[in-house]
Amino acid sequence: MEILSVEGLSFTHAGCSEPAVRDVSFRVREGELIVLCGATGCGKSTLLRLLKPELAPNGTQHGRIHFAGTGSGAARIGFVMQRPEQQIVTDRVWHELAFGLENLGVPQEIMAARIAEMASYFGIEEWYDRDTASLSGGQKQLLNLAAVMVMEPELLILDEPTAQLDPIAASEFIAVLHRLSRDFSLTILVAEHRLEELIPLCDRLLVMEAGRLILDDAPRQAAHALRHHPARLCAMPAPVRLGCLLGTERLPLTVREGRALTAEYACKPPEPAETAPRRTSPALTLEHIRFRYDRACPDVLQDLNLTVHEGEICCLLGGNGSGKSTALGVAAGLLRPMTGEVRVFGKPLRRYRDGALYRECLAMLPQDVQTLFLRHTVREELADAGALGMDFPFDLSYLYDRHPYDLSGGEQQLTALAKILAQKPRLLLLDEPTKGLDAAARQTLTGILRQLQAQGVTLVIVTHDAEFAAQCADRCVMFFRGQAVCTDIPARFFSSNRFYTTAASRMSRGILSETVTVEAIAACCRTSGGAPC
Amino acid sequence: MKAFSDYHPVVLAVYFAVTAGITMFSQHPVLAGISLLGAVVLFLVRNGRKQGMSHLLFLLMLAGMALINPLVSHNGSTVLFVMNHNPVTLEALLYGISAGVTMTAVLYWMRSLSQIMTRDKLLCVCSRLSPGLALVLSMAIRYISLFAAQARKIHLAQKAAGRYGDHSLIDRIRGGMRIFSVLLTWALEHGITTADSMEARGYGSGKRTQFARFRMGTGDGLLLAGTLLTGGLTCGGMAAGALSFSFYPRIVWGEVTPLTAVSLLSFGLLTMLPVIIEAKEALAWKYYLSRV
Amino acid sequence: MLMIRSARLRTFLRWSIPLCLMPVMVLVGGMIFREKRYLLLACMAAGLAVLLFLSGVERRQTGARRMVLAAVMTALCIAGRFIPLFKPVTAITVLAAMYLGRESGFLIGAMAALLSNFYFGQGPWTAFQMLAWGMIGWLAGLLAEPLKRHRFWLLLYGTAAGVFYSLVMDIWTVLWYQDGFHPALYLTAIVTALPHTILYAASNLLFLWWMAKPFGEKLGRIQIRYGI
Repeated sequence: MEILSVEGLSFTHAGCSEPAVRDVSFRVREGELIVLCGATGCGKSTLLRLLKPELAPNGTQHGRIHFAGTGSGAARIGFVMQRPEQQIVTDRVWHELAFGLENLGVPQEIMAARIAEMASYFGIEEWYDRDTASLSGGQKQLLNLAAVMVMEPELLILDEPTAQLDPIAASEFIAVLHRLSRDFSLTILVAEHRLEELIPLCDRLLVMEAGRLILDDAPRQAAHALRHHPARLCAMPAPVRLGCLLGTERLPLTVREGRALTAEYACKPPEPAETAPRRTSPALTLEHIRFRYDRACPDVLQDLNLTVHEGEICCLLGGNGSGKSTALGVAAGLLRPMTGEVRVFGKPLRRYRDGALYRECLAMLPQDVQTLFLRHTVREELADAGALGMDFPFDLSYLYDRHPYDLSGGEQQLTALAKILAQKPRLLLLDEPTKGLDAAARQTLTGILRQLQAQGVTLVIVTHDAEFAAQCADRCVMFFRGQAVCTDIPARFFSSNRFYTTAASRMSRGILSETVTVEAIAACCRTSGGAPC
Repeated sequence: MKAFSDYHPVVLAVYFAVTAGITMFSQHPVLAGISLLGAVVLFLVRNGRKQGMSHLLFLLMLAGMALINPLVSHNGSTVLFVMNHNPVTLEALLYGISAGVTMTAVLYWMRSLSQIMTRDKLLCVCSRLSPGLALVLSMAIRYISLFAAQARKIHLAQKAAGRYGDHSLIDRIRGGMRIFSVLLTWALEHGITTADSMEARGYGSGKRTQFARFRMGTGDGLLLAGTLLTGGLTCGGMAAGALSFSFYPRIVWGEVTPLTAVSLLSFGLLTMLPVIIEAKEALAWKYYLSRV
Repeated sequence: MLMIRSARLRTFLRWSIPLCLMPVMVLVGGMIFREKRYLLLACMAAGLAVLLFLSGVERRQTGARRMVLAAVMTALCIAGRFIPLFKPVTAITVLAAMYLGRESGFLIGAMAALLSNFYFGQGPWTAFQMLAWGMIGWLAGLLAEPLKRHRFWLLLYGTAAGVFYSLVMDIWTVLWYQDGFHPALYLTAIVTALPHTILYAASNLLFLWWMAKPFGEKLGRIQIRYGI
């Protein structure tokens, strides 16, 4: 049964000349799980908001949206947004669950029953009495979902729900979505950048570009149609990209299918990777660092030793709470270790006085780049840091008159990077620079970091993003319980890890050695129709 | 069977309002003494020997208030001695002590109130008056901790960006201003998303109800009835003039009638209600343990 | 619950209670009663006035955005109360009231007093603080236009608000301490509290001087972009 139909929908924001959504038509049947993808700024969010009357933006709209649900009011369509924290309204978990029902004026007994039911289903019982501020990002997003589900929506819309979550929390969130779709036949429409896990689960894939819906098909067919579309292809999961590179007729969607494909096509062993990167003098040394945030808490860093050499890109990986961000804070001189010594370019940190450390020496890009913005335009923002007129490996001039908060995640990242680069650092620390970025912005960032490296900047990057680390690092360091447990070049690092690794590594494990990117696998394979070697 | 702090928030609010109200309202030194006794005992029962030092502080404050009055006020007819050409009178001294006891008693009631009326309970009381108000309060409470955390992040980010040092006072003030400016922008934009999230969940679409976490039980009804009854008797006594007392120009005890005794007794009972409840709770638990 | 059906009566009360009834009640109460009764009266009147205002807010269908912004500003005020010596509470209340309107101004000032006293100590004085800050916000909302136009008026208002706050709290001190409203004692209280008064006025002046521009720009942008 059809639940939603959109016909010839066009929309122009108030005060804009260009339409954000152009002539979009599609239909959603009950119980479908549909993924909407497209580059940042392609009109995804606008389209989703138009579907939810309470959030429809101001502007002129043509075409028709017909929602066939039986209910009425705000409860019919549930909407979950990107930033977990900003959607929470009240101070307690139980009150947040009750909020939607309170708005609808639901009687007490029904409210109590529904809240109890949802809290048990989502496993929220244990933190039912907690402060919402004390939850982790993953828990917050789960709470947002539960707080919407308690209103019993017929259609659930999610706008990049996992963009701000770490990979494990994101997988859990997607698993919950899958469970909702499978167990309750709930209709779900989700816009997402992280497609690895969603594509194998979804019924249909909608692809948008510049406000138009360019594709609406089952995932395998849709991927097939995108094979000659490099800008869109880079956002596809690794198995799909491998299939496209090899030119197979039937594209693999899951790691399992990708593995079968690798086994079939592999024909020569990979070139052995460089054994050791060239040794230069150390840019950053952490020796026997111990750190804890509070006397009552356990050590976050326990006897941590780490050396980063000049001119390299070093990625720090590890789970939540493994101490990698803390290590970065210690290295930047923001957190004082209890014992041990930090040296930057051979000089102990305490010998840098009066902020000398932050002038032409070390700079840090924080995880939340919005903590750097305080002006009204990008131009003023750059002027504030003295970065106006400086030469960067990227161009920002087209953004000069925009407000920093009106930029996309990737653009905000670059503006912040420009502010930081005004310090002319020789050692640049980055905390989760790919969080919330789409594939294209991630590629841009990789290119920029490579260029900075070529200019002689040493980079230390904390990241959860294995694919990104495999692409851009010279060396990867695994953190576990406050220590650096293993260090290696990415090819060996990711091929020796079984779980904490890239999809390409999982596809080629045991077939090809040390191939951790799709390109590396493709280099060892014959192409479809090509002669076996 | 439940502790005093587990009673329904509205009942607790009424209890504290009546008790502290009568204490402030009355002039009678005996009543003030009873009130102070009840308030201190309740605080001790709830806190034990913790915060021992703070009692000393309150005692000092009481003494200070008792002594300042005769130096400021020169009413009264029994002159004790003359200081700086001003008479210091017995009446003013006694008045000071009585006022000090009253104030200390109110402060002790307020201390227990602050401990007992947690946020959830305050919001429950507020939502009875105005659901919209309760919601704003709830949001504001959430924002306080959120802003504190964000301000810390901003401080670190700005410091690493070399935007200020924290060596001199001027640097720190400048830094504080920068942090506030960043925080303000962030908070406003943050609020817009929150508002969207509220509207997406039907805020403002109709009449709001409030999810009641606290249910009114028989025990709550009994405590409320007890509070109103004993408080009412005391107020009645006051209105009938049974508790009249005046310090100036000389101390005059109102006529002591049976009504005076009844009023004072019922006020004593009122101030002891929480302690009785706590004691009953402790006994019940001991009895339960002995049977296991 | 707190609803008054007649719109005219509501408006009348919303204007008259804080502007005439309250001060008259406190003063006359102080003159007539030679006992402590008027303290309770004053507390009740302060509480009632606050509730009346808030009931006005409740009646109006205020949008979610305005509501959230009020909560944000309240939280900022409370956070500001933790700064040693110089407190930006009044300054933030005034600026927020200028851009969000007088009802929100009252709400923000009153709520900031109520909530922050959970950290600074709750008591009968809360009602007076709520009233004082609420009134400062409400008046700032009323005078928004001239205050926005000239920095001078804003700074003057800030200074006056500091003095006003101190005067109101001195009333409270006298009522609380003595068994009647003695003008002489009130004068003494004013003189003793002079350092505080100066500090209040000075911090209002400083914070308004520094915050008026960024605050105006930032709230202005939000108002234009999101249509509040």
